Amino acid sequence: MNLLTRIATILSFLGHYPAYILAYIIETLIVIIFATVVVAGMVYFFRKYMARVQMRIGPNRVGKFGILQVMADGLKLIQKESIMPQGRDDLPYKVAPLIIFIALIMGFIFIPYGPLAWLGTLTVTHSDVSLVILFALIAIMPIGELLSGIVSNNKYAVLGSLRGVAKDVSFEVPMMLSVLAIVMMASARNASPLDLNGIVQAQNIPFAILEPLGFFVFLISMAARASYSPFDMGESDSELVTGNTTEYSGLRFGMFYLGLFGTIFLGSMILSTLYLGGYNGPFVNYVGFIWLLIKTLVIVVISLTIWLSMPRVRIDKFVSFGWKYLLPISFINLVLTGFLVLGGIS
Amino acid sequence: MIEVKEVEEPKRIPILGSIGGMYTVFKHLFQKPVTVQYPEEKENQGDRFRFRIYLSTDDCVGCTLCEQVCPNLTITMVSLDKENPRNKRKIYPSVNFGTCTVCRNCEEICPTDAIYLKDVFETARTKNSFFYSPTDLEKNEDEVRR
Repeated sequence: MNLLTRIATILSFLGHYPAYILAYIIETLIVIIFATVVVAGMVYFFRKYMARVQMRIGPNRVGKFGILQVMADGLKLIQKESIMPQGRDDLPYKVAPLIIFIALIMGFIFIPYGPLAWLGTLTVTHSDVSLVILFALIAIMPIGELLSGIVSNNKYAVLGSLRGVAKDVSFEVPMMLSVLAIVMMASARNASPLDLNGIVQAQNIPFAILEPLGFFVFLISMAARASYSPFDMGESDSELVTGNTTEYSGLRFGMFYLGLFGTIFLGSMILSTLYLGGYNGPFVNYVGFIWLLIKTLVIVVISLTIWLSMPRVRIDKFVSFGWKYLLPISFINLVLTGFLVLGGIS
Repeated sequence: MIEVKEVEEPKRIPILGSIGGMYTVFKHLFQKPVTVQYPEEKENQGDRFRFRIYLSTDDCVGCTLCEQVCPNLTITMVSLDKENPRNKRKIYPSVNFGTCTVCRNCEEICPTDAIYLKDVFETARTKNSFFYSPTDLEKNEDEVRR
């Protein structure tokens, strides 16, 4: 039993096909609402965590414990006038934030959420190639970043987007190689190793223990993908105003902002799915979803700690780090994984 | 001939330093925040903190010493119609808090301890109303017209 059939049984008085169509729509809506709430929650959690680490209190005026602060900020961004630069390329300028935001929200559809009590498994899409689709969606995001920079007729924005793309190019190859190692490991146990659900079920031992090098590479890659502090060359707020988002204001800026925090959460979720065993844990049939959330939260805290403790890396240093260290490390990881798979240890 | 000693740089393990920094950041999560939510809660001031000038018109003898010792003409003597056998000229100090630097010279020099300072510091007022007449100086802060 999963969430879809559960909703369809409730709606079964409508007839078979209408019930299923409606159930699909409702399930998608649930995921979109979940993604939005989680992204807003990430903003609140980040602000609170940063404040406590810096021995401040953080937002505490709007609502109890400042919970409504994110909503107040969102309302402010919606009300603001959207100022657009002269000489922009109009269509890409307006499409760029949408690309990032929609790719992010769609990414949430492919995560295997695992079962939760009476509802059954919450996984939305049961695809044999969900891993491929997920990483294709993640690979769309840099296009939004690049577009937003080069069309807004601003030299800071161009420099920011060029830096961002240089960063993206240098970490995505190692990231995909470490994912390849995951697929190799999963294929030894499971018939469909490109399915995220199959990868989770293949992890009797979490893959983070079997291939720590891959875990390390993937953690750094996800940090670079979300582009927060050690890797925020695209933004570089101390030298390039705010990089590629310089000319954006109002709701379009809000989309970039939510995109940043959403990518942290989505990256942590992918990391815990691929390396920490996803929804696996004690009483998996009842609280699998909770296990996934707990693992994700731990990764989120680690990510935010990385964010708050490190200064920005210079772009050439990161590019050389990506090509000279991350890439060989991920190749070594690939070879070691091959030995593990051949030896039957996985 | 001077020998140049070569100092060996300490060998560093690349990631360990970063993890140390992360641990230092994470450690502060469990410490108490230092922020004071001002209007609702107030931090304790020091015992010797003083700000607002008070005047007891019964004790004032009108000797004008406080006016003379005031470094920036904050205190000026004004006449006040009040029966006080010790103050025959009927002049009392008035204070312009816009220029007061809280040097406490007036308190120190006053022969009868008529001028004294208290730790009241919430004296925010509207523009051009920093002038306190002698009767204002006798009252508490919330009784003075703002």
